[in-house]
Amino acid sequence: MSAAPGTTPGAPAAAGAGTALPVATARRTGAVLVAAARAHRRTLVLALVTTTVASAGLVLVPLLLGRVVDAVVADLGATGGQDAGQQGRLWLLFGLLAAAAAGTAVFAALARAQSERLGVEVAADLRERVVDRSLRMDAERLERAGGGDVASRVTEDVELFTSSTELVATVLTSLVTVVLAAAGFAALDWRLALAFCTVFPVYALALRSYLPRAAPLYARERAVAAERSRVVLESLHGARTVQAYGAQEQQTARVEVASGRGVGAALDALRTFARLSVSMNAAEAIGLSALLLTGFHLVRAGAVSVGDVTAAALLFHRLFGPLGVLLLSFDDVQRAGAALARLVGVADTEPPPAQPHRDVRHPATLTAQGLLHAYAQGAPVLHGVDLEVPAGGTLAVVGESGAGKSTLAALLGGVLAPSGGRVLLDGVDLALLDPQQVREHVAVVTQEAHVFTGTLRADLTLAAPGAGDVELLAALAVVGADAWAAALPHGLDTRVGAGAHPLTAAQEQQLALARVVLRDPALVVLDEATAEAGSAGARELEDAARSVLAGRTAVVVAHRLTQARACDRVAVLEHGRLVELGTHDELVAAGERYARLWRTWSASAPPAAGGSTGHPGVTGRQPPGHPGHDRAWVVEG
Amino acid sequence: MTPSRRLLADVLRRRRRPALVGCLASTVHQTCEALVPVAIGLVVARAVATGDTTAIAWSVAGVLALFAVLTAAGAYAFWTIEGAQLREAHHLRVVVLRAVLHRPPTSADLRDGDVLSVATSDTRHTAEVLALLGYLFSASVGMAVSAVVLLRVDALLGLGLLVAVPLLVLGLQRLAPRLERRVRTRQEAAGLAAATAADLLAGLRPLRGFGGVPEAVRRYRTVSRTSRDAAVGAAGATAAVVGAGTLATGLLLLGTAAAATALAVRGRIDVGELVTVVGAAAFLADPVRTITSCVQGLAVSRASAARVAALLADGPGDVPGPRSAATGAGEAAAAPGEPAPLVLEGVSAGPLRGLDLTAAPGEVLGVVTTDTALADALTGVLGGRRTPEAGTVRLGGLDPARDPVATGRLLVEPHAVHLLGGTLREALSTGTPGGAGGPGGRGPALLERALTASAADEVVRARPGGLDAELLERGANLSGGQQQRLALARALAADRPVLVLRDPTTALDALTEDTVAAGLRDLRHGPGAPGGRTTVVLTTSPLLLARCDRVVLLTADDPRTGTRTLSGTHAELLAEPAYAAAVLR
Repeated sequence: MSAAPGTTPGAPAAAGAGTALPVATARRTGAVLVAAARAHRRTLVLALVTTTVASAGLVLVPLLLGRVVDAVVADLGATGGQDAGQQGRLWLLFGLLAAAAAGTAVFAALARAQSERLGVEVAADLRERVVDRSLRMDAERLERAGGGDVASRVTEDVELFTSSTELVATVLTSLVTVVLAAAGFAALDWRLALAFCTVFPVYALALRSYLPRAAPLYARERAVAAERSRVVLESLHGARTVQAYGAQEQQTARVEVASGRGVGAALDALRTFARLSVSMNAAEAIGLSALLLTGFHLVRAGAVSVGDVTAAALLFHRLFGPLGVLLLSFDDVQRAGAALARLVGVADTEPPPAQPHRDVRHPATLTAQGLLHAYAQGAPVLHGVDLEVPAGGTLAVVGESGAGKSTLAALLGGVLAPSGGRVLLDGVDLALLDPQQVREHVAVVTQEAHVFTGTLRADLTLAAPGAGDVELLAALAVVGADAWAAALPHGLDTRVGAGAHPLTAAQEQQLALARVVLRDPALVVLDEATAEAGSAGARELEDAARSVLAGRTAVVVAHRLTQARACDRVAVLEHGRLVELGTHDELVAAGERYARLWRTWSASAPPAAGGSTGHPGVTGRQPPGHPGHDRAWVVEG
Repeated sequence: MTPSRRLLADVLRRRRRPALVGCLASTVHQTCEALVPVAIGLVVARAVATGDTTAIAWSVAGVLALFAVLTAAGAYAFWTIEGAQLREAHHLRVVVLRAVLHRPPTSADLRDGDVLSVATSDTRHTAEVLALLGYLFSASVGMAVSAVVLLRVDALLGLGLLVAVPLLVLGLQRLAPRLERRVRTRQEAAGLAAATAADLLAGLRPLRGFGGVPEAVRRYRTVSRTSRDAAVGAAGATAAVVGAGTLATGLLLLGTAAAATALAVRGRIDVGELVTVVGAAAFLADPVRTITSCVQGLAVSRASAARVAALLADGPGDVPGPRSAATGAGEAAAAPGEPAPLVLEGVSAGPLRGLDLTAAPGEVLGVVTTDTALADALTGVLGGRRTPEAGTVRLGGLDPARDPVATGRLLVEPHAVHLLGGTLREALSTGTPGGAGGPGGRGPALLERALTASAADEVVRARPGGLDAELLERGANLSGGQQQRLALARALAADRPVLVLRDPTTALDALTEDTVAAGLRDLRHGPGAPGGRTTVVLTTSPLLLARCDRVVLLTADDPRTGTRTLSGTHAELLAEPAYAAAVLR
């Protein structure tokens, strides 16, 4: 596997905006490949040795046949009668031929097994490293690159590279065969070897015109194919929507356009490839003619025998296959190389270093000091936020879209590192903890729910690998999911998620909350975790969230203000600044921004629904049993 | 004729010209390939062995001419056949997608993954029948040419080879099932590993949120190792096949060479013929291999064609072509029609029992249900996805589930948001003539107003490029609230006489929801609206309900008494405890 270009276009159209992840240079890619192969030294050595022996056998056969021809010519020349010496010679030659055929077969099998094994093992090592690095990648880089780029590397590039392991075997065999064949020609006569070498300039010229043309063609073919599968997939996912609008023909037309572009791109690639195959045949014609002409002159000069020329011609005829493989698989090799370069780009990202362990009490006090944040090349989103949540207290964060609520949640949850300021958990700066430790103490749930494919048990144990059924069922009971979970056809062993037992949006979020219960973290951050479930579902989820948050330190980003009201304190964000902080009742009484929000929210709600806590003057529920809570909840600025 | 055979016959008929021309060119190519060993033999015997200068000149010229024909025919065949195949796969893909999209709304859900594999891989395999038949024929001719050459050299030797080669290839085929099994296991394991990686990546943010990364890494390693072991197993099986094949061709060559040598030593054939026979014996395995792989490929192609045909048969009786389908629902929407009421009479469907409900022209009707199952059933019936067990749904006297004119006047926007298209503009266009995206009509101005009404204008403004901003798959670059607002804008821009919305503001904050509730009413029923529009909103949001002319509460507490309805304004109904509980925040 050579020549992995370092200039591969980073992300196809699907990766979208953002800064693409690094793509390794050709040199670095090669180095990683060599290092990976070295890790399987035994397989590597076996593959090389067996391949060499098998190829030697392949080259030996035509050479022996050349000797046979010489013996036959000599035999016929020997006075018409049959020469006993030549007869013995023929027996010997055929014995050698039989041994070569058998040996070639055995070693070809061994070579195939070993070289494919080498490819498979290297690919497995690499993909495991890539997945590991992708899952652990630091959040800033991940956000900048966009999920699409990482996903396409972990799926498409890994698959492309993994499926090219057979290529390793065929290319290696062909390469060794051609090299040994050159030696075979040289063994006959150096001038025959020289004649054979006339194919190489032809190949070089063909590749020189092909490669620069092919690279952009294949890149375009890939991009167009990605667009096509996007359109096909959206047509399938959104079939109901298409039908609702009666837009079947418009959508079919979109598929037709995208697929038609794919045909155009593929035809361009096909034309270029057809040209390359013409060059391949031309090289065969030139090589064969050169060998026959040279052989003719050498025979006339008495330098070689007719058998030598026959051997050379037969050997060359048998090289059509390996030479074709080398030339025509060049772009497969290139494509695999490009995929590899993108994989190495991810594999080389260093995960954040491990930090010394620090104790954090559960539940923990959460303190934010002067939090500033700006995304890459963006205006600041947060301008110095200070707040403190006492152990076991809950804080709601409200505000209009774009106020910076989710950014604040991400900073408090240790998902993003602040551009300025500190987040302290039980007095420990999150910046001093590695991501692994942060996740031991902080759980973050957003409205982006995901049911991991597999059984319900597998989904839950992702959060708590050692948990038994009793713990799992208890966690489901906390979030009110025990009833439907018990009704599943196979209980905890029911396969859930895409293509299996479907779950509603509310059930998916209940699972997300159940995972939090299983983690039992020091701090919980919910970012609109109850939003996407319809009104009735949202209420159930709010109940579930309340049970999960009982006794835990929590930050809740909410647009449903009933949820805010249920928290000990409410913080109002506006344009990245904390503008109000207090209990629900205090803020409603204050008559400022929160009061306005609350009025809009409850304007048309039934008066009874507000309940007593909805009215100013009535004492809000204070978090009981936290002696220090009165001096906590500080706002400074 | 089975549906799959009929489909394959259609494919061949549609592409008969390129298929025939390609097959012919490929036959010429194969014939030339078969003649290469003959040429080598001739040159050795007539020129190299004799030292005749004229002979070598002619020889080289002959070799070059042979290769010129071989090359031209080969490239032309490749280009013609593969091109036809690409075009045919494209054609089938479009036909399949059209059939899937035109499936009756009541038909069962297909699994996206299954349809995707039919639309991409099965259409490709079906189109491959063109190449397979072409190469099958040309390889057979190539073999016949070799046979003739060998028979002319020596009848017995030729016949022997003609019997031995196919036997050997058939014998090797017996190794195939084991290899196929191993390869299948390998593909399944690789597929599982890939799916696991894709699943973990798709859920990466939640996964990191609850600290599941170490366990996820461990799980991926497990499936990756399983995949690796399966691949090593398959490599072993491949190696056995490669070894057996090498041994078989080696022995064949050895036997032929020995027999030909014996003939040459006895003076029955000359040295050139000896070379030809040995070369031809080595070559003969190629066409035989091609023939067997084509036969296997045809089985795959037939199986794929069966799946494509099944999907096409599963769709509507005859798949409308682009022309006949142009009179679909979208176009009917433009058909003039008097404002007409949407009337449900005695509708029973699942939890719904004998529901009577009327939405009058010009009315904004709120529908509140005590149970989401009721709302699901109602939207299912209105959207034509669910056939009522009893009762009728009529729009201006027509059944919207059957009559395209009625269908085109009604839009039931699904709650689950699916934005389709590569840009925001595409996502907002639904091809309704007279609507925002279509030609004519009130076009851009309507779209602007729809965006403002649904508070989606700020979503568009916030993107570089505005309406031409890129939209990622499944709206990945938009928040849930942004997607919901855009979907609402799309529904408003389609400007259908009757619009049914289901929980359209669940992902919006209170202030935005309030803006949307006002904008929605203003656009469809305010000054400047065409008049006679009907809007039905299934929701429990007080902000939306307060802006409805009338609200109906559906209760299903007792299945025997049927679905009870209670009608009034939002303010009036608040006195009703069941209603108050349903819209309680």
